[in-house]
Amino acid sequence: MSARAYGPRGPAPTLHLPDFCAARAILAVVLIVEMVAILFALARQSLQQNFWIDLASCSLFLLWLGLGCTSVLCRTRAWLQKMPVARASTIALSLLMLCVLVVSEVVYQLGQSWTFGAAGVFSLFPADHASFVLRNLGVGFIVSALALRYFYVSAEGKRNIEMAAQARIRALQARIRPHFLFNSMNTIAELTRSNPERAEQAVEDLADLFRASLSDAHTQIPLRDEFEIAKTHQRIEQLRLGSRLQVTWDIDTLPMRAQVPGLIVQPLLENAVYHGIEMLPAGGTISIVGTFRDGRIEIEVRNPIPLQHNYGEREGNRMALENIGQRLALAWPGRASIETRQEGSEFFARLVFPYTETAAAHFTS
Amino acid sequence: MRLLLVDDELPARDRMRRLLAEIEDCEVVAEAGTGELAIAQCAELRPDIVLLDVRMPGLSGIEVARHIDSLEDPPAVIFTTAYDQYAVEAFETEAVGYLLKPVRKEKLAHALRHASRISPTRLAKLAESARIDHRRDQICARLGEQLKLIPVADIYYFLSDQKYITVRHRNGENLIDESLKSLAEEFAGDFVRIHRNALVAEKQISAVERCDDGHYVVRIRECGVVLEVSRRHAAELLRRIRGEA
Repeated sequence: MSARAYGPRGPAPTLHLPDFCAARAILAVVLIVEMVAILFALARQSLQQNFWIDLASCSLFLLWLGLGCTSVLCRTRAWLQKMPVARASTIALSLLMLCVLVVSEVVYQLGQSWTFGAAGVFSLFPADHASFVLRNLGVGFIVSALALRYFYVSAEGKRNIEMAAQARIRALQARIRPHFLFNSMNTIAELTRSNPERAEQAVEDLADLFRASLSDAHTQIPLRDEFEIAKTHQRIEQLRLGSRLQVTWDIDTLPMRAQVPGLIVQPLLENAVYHGIEMLPAGGTISIVGTFRDGRIEIEVRNPIPLQHNYGEREGNRMALENIGQRLALAWPGRASIETRQEGSEFFARLVFPYTETAAAHFTS
Repeated sequence: MRLLLVDDELPARDRMRRLLAEIEDCEVVAEAGTGELAIAQCAELRPDIVLLDVRMPGLSGIEVARHIDSLEDPPAVIFTTAYDQYAVEAFETEAVGYLLKPVRKEKLAHALRHASRISPTRLAKLAESARIDHRRDQICARLGEQLKLIPVADIYYFLSDQKYITVRHRNGENLIDESLKSLAEEFAGDFVRIHRNALVAEKQISAVERCDDGHYVVRIRECGVVLEVSRRHAAELLRRIRGEA
C-alpha cells in the first residue's frame, strides 16, 4: 500500500449571491436605485432645467434597470452558485449587461414612438441612440462588477470566520479527546470505591496527560518525556482494558535527549487503542519500535485492527495523523514525515525525523 | 427486575453492578463482555432489562439490541455510552432510553423505572444514524427460542423469498429477518449481488458458466449449488470476477 501524506484542506469557494427573490432584497434594490437617482439629479442640476422632471426620468429608468437585473439574478442564482467563481462571475456579468442593453433599447424605442421622433422637444427621453446605449453599458459594467466583487468579498469574509471557528473546535477536540476523557472518568469513578490508591494514581496520570495536551503547540520536549506521556496514557487505558491491551516498547537504541514537538507518539498509541485494540474482543499487542541511524530517528507504531476497509481514512484517525504531520512540518520543514500503511489486519504508522539536541533549527535561526 | 449487564470493560461493569446493588428491587442475573455472549444469555436467562454498552468489539450494542429484539417477548433495552456523539443524537431523536457514563445513581434508577421495549423500526433507524462504522463478522439467526450466530466467513450465499432470507453456510442453512439490500451494502466488499434475490460470497464462487440460452449461472465452491445470474447483474459480476475495479 502506498504511503499517505497528511495536510489541511477545505471546500472550493463559490460565488455567493444574496437571495434576490426575497422581499427585503427587492426593497433594498428599490431604495438604492432611488438614492442613486437623486444623486444623479442633484449632480446634473446645473445642466437640466427642471430638477423634478430629471429625477423622475432618471429614477424611472434606473428602477426598470434595477428590477430587471434583480429578476435575472433571482432566476439564475441557484445555477450560478454551483459553478467555480470565475465562470459564475463572467456569466452573471454578461447577463446583467444583456439586461442593461435590453432596457436601454426599450426605453429609447419607447421614446421614439411616444415623441414621434421629435426627441429634442421632450427631454424625458434620450435623443442620441448609440451614445445613450453605450453610456448605459459602460456605467452598468462598472456598477455590476463592483457589486459582484462586493458580494464575493463579504461572503468570503463570512466563510473565513466560520472556517476559523470550526478549526478551533476541532483543535480543542483533538486535545480534550472526549471518548478517552469520559471513559477514564468512568473507570476512576469505580476505582474510588474499589481501589482508592489506583484511583489516585489514575487522577494524577490524567492530570499529567491533559497538562501535556494543553501546553503550547510549539514547545519542544526531550524524546524521553514524550515516551513518558505515552506510557502515562497506556497506564490509564490499561485500567480499563486489562489484559486485552498489551504494549511492547523497543526504543532503547533511541537518543532520549533528542528534542521533539510534544504529542507526536502518544496520539499514535491512542489511535491504536481506539481503532484497534478496543474493537477486538480478544484485544492484542501494540508494538512501538524505534531505530536510530544516520542522524535520523524512526518510530513505528504497529497495531492489529479488525478486518475492514479504509482504516486510515476514518475521520478520527486521519485528524490525529494530519495534526502530527503539521507539527512535524513546523519543526523540520521538508525533513520529517509521517506515513501509514495497512497490511491485512495490521496498521502501521511511521514517524521519521532528524535528530536535534537543541530546539530545532527552524526556531533558533 | 432481572437485569443483564453488557459492557466490554470490566471496571464499567463493576461500577454498574455496585450502583445497581444500591437500588431496590434489582437483580443482576448475568454479565456479558461481548455482544455475542449477551445474545446467548438473553435467550437463556430472559432478563427484563438489558443495560447495553454502545461501543463494543464485534457486535455493537445497537446490533445486539436488534438481535435480541427478534426474541419472543424481548427485554427492555437501556443503552450506555461514555461518548458517542452520533449515537446520542440518534437516541435523542428516537426517544430511546440511554445513560451517559459515568452514570449517576438517580439517573440509573429513573431509567430503570421508565425502561421500555424498542420497536424494530426505531432500532433500524438507530443503527443507521449512530454511524458506528463496524461491520458485523457474525449474522444472527433465530432458532425457535434460541439465537444462533453464523460467522460471515462461513456463509456461501443469501437467498431471499417473499418474507425471509435463507442463509446457506458451512453448517447448514437458517432463516434470518433482514433485508437483502442492507446486507448487500454492509458486506459490499466480500459479497456480490447476482440476482434480485441472491447475494453470494465472492470467494465461494468456483465458476461462472454460460448456458445455451445466453444466461449465466454461478457454481458455489463448497456445496456445489448452482444459482442463476440475472441479466441485470451479469456485467457487474463478470467485472468483479475478472478482478477489475
